[in-house]
Amino acid sequence: MLCDICKQNEATIHIQEIINGEKKTLNLCGDCAAKKSKNDPAFDIGGFNLAEMLYNLSENMEIPGLKLPEEQQEKAGADDTAAKLSCPGCGWSLQGLRKTGRVGCPQCYKTFRSVIMEALENMHRGKLHVGKKPGGSKDDESPRKMLELMNLQKELDELVQREEYEKAAEVRDTIIQLKESLKKQTGGKSK
Amino acid sequence: MIENNIEKLLKNKVSWLADSGPAEDIAISSRIRLARNIEGVPFPIAASADNLQHSQSAVEMALEKSKSIGGNAFIFRMDAIEPIDKQLLLERRLISTEFVQKSKGASLALRGDESIAVMVNEEDHLRIQALRPGMQLQEVWDIINRLDNELERQLPYAYDSKLGFLTSCPTNVGTGMRASVMLHLPGLVLSGQINAAIQGVSKLGMAVRGIFGEGTDNRGNLFQVSNQSTLGESEEQIIERLDGVIKQMINHEKNARINLLENNQYFLLDHVGRSYGVLRHAYTLSSEEALNSLSGIRTGVDMGMFSSVDLHTVNELFLSINPAHLQRFAGKHLDSKERDVYRAALVRERLKNLNSDS
Repeated sequence: MLCDICKQNEATIHIQEIINGEKKTLNLCGDCAAKKSKNDPAFDIGGFNLAEMLYNLSENMEIPGLKLPEEQQEKAGADDTAAKLSCPGCGWSLQGLRKTGRVGCPQCYKTFRSVIMEALENMHRGKLHVGKKPGGSKDDESPRKMLELMNLQKELDELVQREEYEKAAEVRDTIIQLKESLKKQTGGKSK
Repeated sequence: MIENNIEKLLKNKVSWLADSGPAEDIAISSRIRLARNIEGVPFPIAASADNLQHSQSAVEMALEKSKSIGGNAFIFRMDAIEPIDKQLLLERRLISTEFVQKSKGASLALRGDESIAVMVNEEDHLRIQALRPGMQLQEVWDIINRLDNELERQLPYAYDSKLGFLTSCPTNVGTGMRASVMLHLPGLVLSGQINAAIQGVSKLGMAVRGIFGEGTDNRGNLFQVSNQSTLGESEEQIIERLDGVIKQMINHEKNARINLLENNQYFLLDHVGRSYGVLRHAYTLSSEEALNSLSGIRTGVDMGMFSSVDLHTVNELFLSINPAHLQRFAGKHLDSKERDVYRAALVRERLKNLNSDS
């Protein structure tokens, strides 16, 4: 399916709007979605704006001299631009990543780390994997708890700002409990 | 494994539609899919023909060895089946729209009852899915988690300690998990609240889509609610959050239906009655009209207006009226007009016992 706006690129984003009970479907490519989201504030679907995220992604990749991982910087030389970077594992390029939104192999995550990391922040609720590991175990609970702690701190700040002190007190108590359990865990390990 | 036996598959009772599950009046089915890749092998998008063949045989062997999808499993090679049968697999929610385009190097492995499907070399080397009727995400997670553990003993997964399971699209990285529940929400649609509900769900970081995933509309008042984020939360946390959001949606739907019954009874009865009329008496029936009328009948069945018809009969019709299924039942190619006639006949036959109680 081709993009409704430029009618050239493959549409990768499909957006549905229901206005007064009438359904409208919009099929867009990454570039046009990014443009549209910039010009049309109604395009924000609340909290998670895929188009904006893609826009950031493509913008990042056009900036010459983008900060690269150190070893890549040495390899590429100071004058080279990020756009010329390609993955030693599969030959995938930044252009390929930009065009498709996909990477070519597991190693690409190292090759394009800085670009991907920034995009990940906009896509997901966190930057660190806290789920299942190969082997099926989740022996170390502390990353998950740290994360929860960070989220709670944020919530606490917001509650205080909104002067919702009763709820804030509850959150504060949870934070104290969590800190205690973290202390026990890490304390136990270091001794 | 049984190869390329579409006929046998077609005779299957589709468990996620035909069996009972919790909260099935509103939640039709629960699905989880995991994206997994083999360490050191390029993802399908950057893979050579050799790479694809390699990952295909590695995955097929792992499935065989682990016996994880059971004895009477199916396997379909995408370069060895007819386009119409790819369409049929899509209609049964066993493959994605993207996978329909695939040919060499891509295959689909299925548990006999279709509750587990593994797409090989879709966007990732493995797309594992588990599907159960009703609202039971936790149970589905237990099933798929076990299968994933078994497969992982045979296949070295691409994994990074910080980023989790590595996937071709960064939107899946981390858990690689997309969990979703298919909801039938006529009450929210008829009362004009659906838009607000969808926006509310989006604000909570969940996605709402049409039944066949991305890029499809919401015919039949069927919606799929799924998680967006796959990184920064554990599988259990994602499921818990999604579960909470969906239970809220189910409550909203229930309230909307009660409200309609109390304040706008004739509007609701008219909607169900017209659907009944169309399905019982139409001689040509487009896919869209069929889906929307089936939604109306399902609403009536839920509210006890038709005691003679089982919810699951209606569920199964949601599947049977699709183009590839119709043509397989007919045993020949049907153009669009012929399908509309055949569809109307099929629906009349299946619903011949449907009598309005009122």
